[in-house]
Amino acid sequence: MTASALLPVFALMTSLTAAVIIFTLPEQKHQLRTAVNLTAAVMKLLLVGLMIWGVFQGNEYGISFPMVPGVEFILRADALAMLFAGLSAALWLLTTVYAVGYLEGSPNRSRFFGFFSLCVASTMGIALAGNLFTFFLFYEMLTLSTYPLVVHRGTPQALRAGRTYIIYTLTGGAALLFGIALLHNFSGDLPFRPGGHFEDMAPDLQIPLTIVFVILIAGLGVKAAIVPLHGWLPVAMVAPAPVSALLHAVAVVKAGAFGIVRVVFEIYGLEAASALGLLSGLAAIAAFTIVYGSVRALNQTDLKRRLAFSTVSQVSYIILGLCLAGPVGVAGGLVHLVHQGVMKITLFFCAGNYAETLGIHRIDELDGAGRRMPATSVAFTLAAFGMIGTPPLAGFITKWTMGTGALAAGMDWVIAVLVVSSLLNAAYFLPVLNRIWFREKKDAWPEERQWGRFETSAWLLWPSLITAALLILAGLLASASFSPLGWVELIVAREVDL
Amino acid sequence: MITAPLLLMTVILPLASLLLAFRSRWQEIYRYSLPLLPIPAILAGLMAELDNWLELPWLLIGGVWGLDELRQTFLLLTSVLWATAGIFAVGYLTPRKLRAFCVFWALTLTGNLGLIISVDLASFYSFFALMTFAAYGLVVHESTDEANRAGRVYLAMAVAGEMALLTGLLMAAQQADSMLLGQLPAAIASSEQRWLIIALLVSGFGVKAGLPFLHFWLPLAHPVAPTPASAVLSGAMIKAGLLGWLVTLPFGELSLPTWGNTLVILGAIGALGGAVLGLKQVRPKTILAYSSISQMGLITLMVGAAMANTAQAATLFSAIALYALHHGLAKGCLFLSTAVELPAERRSRWLVWLLIGLPGLSLAGLPFTSGAAAKFAMKNALKPEQYEFAMAEYLPLIMSAGAVATMLLIWRFLWALHQSAQTGNNHRFKWLGWVAASVCSLVAFWFLPGARSTAGHSWFAVTPSEAWSLIWPIALATAIAGAWWFVRGRNDTGIS
Repeated sequence: MTASALLPVFALMTSLTAAVIIFTLPEQKHQLRTAVNLTAAVMKLLLVGLMIWGVFQGNEYGISFPMVPGVEFILRADALAMLFAGLSAALWLLTTVYAVGYLEGSPNRSRFFGFFSLCVASTMGIALAGNLFTFFLFYEMLTLSTYPLVVHRGTPQALRAGRTYIIYTLTGGAALLFGIALLHNFSGDLPFRPGGHFEDMAPDLQIPLTIVFVILIAGLGVKAAIVPLHGWLPVAMVAPAPVSALLHAVAVVKAGAFGIVRVVFEIYGLEAASALGLLSGLAAIAAFTIVYGSVRALNQTDLKRRLAFSTVSQVSYIILGLCLAGPVGVAGGLVHLVHQGVMKITLFFCAGNYAETLGIHRIDELDGAGRRMPATSVAFTLAAFGMIGTPPLAGFITKWTMGTGALAAGMDWVIAVLVVSSLLNAAYFLPVLNRIWFREKKDAWPEERQWGRFETSAWLLWPSLITAALLILAGLLASASFSPLGWVELIVAREVDL
Repeated sequence: MITAPLLLMTVILPLASLLLAFRSRWQEIYRYSLPLLPIPAILAGLMAELDNWLELPWLLIGGVWGLDELRQTFLLLTSVLWATAGIFAVGYLTPRKLRAFCVFWALTLTGNLGLIISVDLASFYSFFALMTFAAYGLVVHESTDEANRAGRVYLAMAVAGEMALLTGLLMAAQQADSMLLGQLPAAIASSEQRWLIIALLVSGFGVKAGLPFLHFWLPLAHPVAPTPASAVLSGAMIKAGLLGWLVTLPFGELSLPTWGNTLVILGAIGALGGAVLGLKQVRPKTILAYSSISQMGLITLMVGAAMANTAQAATLFSAIALYALHHGLAKGCLFLSTAVELPAERRSRWLVWLLIGLPGLSLAGLPFTSGAAAKFAMKNALKPEQYEFAMAEYLPLIMSAGAVATMLLIWRFLWALHQSAQTGNNHRFKWLGWVAASVCSLVAFWFLPGARSTAGHSWFAVTPSEAWSLIWPIALATAIAGAWWFVRGRNDTGIS
């Protein structure tokens, strides 16, 4: 086994090892724990960076061994894996920094950071998984490691949210497992493969394949928060801000969306899925979810709940993009995996900054917050405009690419969905921005604290500013080869045989 | 050689000025830097080589910036107006929310200049959006209930316009398979969904250009903004919508008489309806806002004619550019003059009134003003015998009625200003900005590249019949205004 074949294993092990060390550390060893956390995060980022460079050069990293006869455990770094792994490694580092500041002085930090590391190890595994079985292992590990994070505060509300979360996701997981088993039953262990396995399928397989597809998507759709399987997401926003940030940007919803990408691209293949008529059904559901999520976001009064419904809407952009089944549309969907992550994590970071510094949770408490916390508010503003899809920010690149892809595929109605969604995004984000910048502060902040020499703790401020900068760069430099769009075009060239 | 740095600095300088917002104690420096921000743009307008494209392949979906003749005129108008309004702003602004004003000013300026130098679609649309959203901050600056309401209407219509643009541009770019604006007209002309694309672009840009029925925000938003911001809103930013039409619609590709008729009708409604509504207003700035709608209506006549007849498109483009340059500079002066306080001394007071009135008379087309040059160019370009579409024969009538309406509106404005103007001392930067704007409108206009090439001769070579065609609308309007004044009594403040 060569060293390069071990890179994916190392990338996975950094966060797993960090988790083990942190669990064994005594609660009060804050500095050591922070050091372990940050070292692991930086190391992982370096390892993933190394693999991205290698994959760009055309190298393949991977390892596989049989678990039980007929079922293999496969880790493999391909371009698609690197999209998700890169996103997760970069945002993990930032979220770790944020979480260290956020949880300063609160109890049970050892438990929190232990599960936090496990959660990230799971996303790394999901990214690198080479077949459905391996994917499923990490997918369930993610469910179990995020539960303690959701209920971290231990309040009755948090426990209720945790219960909803675990019921939804475990049921989804069971459906996924059932689907995988069915698929295994008539076609054996299928590794993920560009173009999929069913290019020329036997006619008698059509009906079972359709049924299995529906089951798999239903299983994955719980985490991806496709309507009507989204119920857990708005409830789970009671979790601490860094957890929400991770849940909404990288870990959970993206795991679902990424799974759908793998199933559509590399198990069924775009062509077969399209021929079976599966994509049009999926497109309709995704379009409905996009509009539904935005409509629900409109009448939320709690900032984080509004953001949560916005996630429901935005994640389905990714799925709708896949259904456009052309190179451009697919690129638009895939690139949103990264863009949505960067934008949404910024919004949640900022929501956390407002909550922790000023005690603001409701939108109507934000009046005049721009004057008190200008840097946070600038970051929030940029991310909100990005979500609306204003050029030159990341969201615009998504919308433009998807729109072009939709027209190329002759699916003109998708433009209407994009426009309606943008209008709704404007309708629920612009009033928030108006309050932040143009309303006068009404009375005292609900719960203000002086924290550090800036408007809030530097640990909270810098991650928000960095992700805000990233969402500008992802849009402004979209044509550079190292941009998310550049990488996605590489994936499309390599993976999608169209 | 100098072209690329000038184009880059046009955008980078106003953006970089945002660094001055980092410390609140720097806001006084920021105030004094406002007039300097458009300087690279002025230099680019005067010195940059035309049709020399600066390629920025890493930017957005491939950036290309540069200037052609049309863009040069728009850039000069925009940068000069922002510079003079910037000087005025130095004297006009109070310390209250000064830093916020400077930030939105710089951002709006960046967008307004950037969209003019953008040759590719993504840059253009980005700067357009930046201008649109940043201008909200200028509109609601006074944070009165009225300003907030205007801001809401502005934003709602702007977002709707953006969506129409997004859809239209997406469809056009898909058809063109290119992100260059220059490729869009031909692609739209050959598209099966031509009608839809044109409708989307006409209405999307029409919101900004104050096209009738998409104009509702304009008379609310232009007047409530601080005066220097009103000047650039009504003088420069309104032209961004016009430029959008000119660079995307299929001019010179295909004659579309239906669109010609539609736009001429809309233009007539704007030109005359804007004036009628304006006459009913009491506040000087609102009257000016309606006058902008009216003037944009006249320009829309030319846009419509260019849509209807391919052969005339090039001539009409020069006339449109000239008219835009003239109207932008004159309207900027008029807006600034609403915040000028009159000197107590009688003789200098008359001088000030003269300087206030001249740009107004220029709008009405007084001989030897920029307005005369613009009107000549428009009349020559819109001679009905050159056109075959149905509305063509009404063009002279509409133009004459428009000229009378313009002058009436100017009298109304002067009267309203007379009622509300206060005596006092002006900050010296207010004087400087206003006088600079007037000098640009009345004198420098003739030396700007756009005017030199199209109209350089017409101000001194006026035949009696031409002079008469300019003067009779002014005389008629003055007679009507005088009669009205006589009938309603000298102390009446308004026309109900």
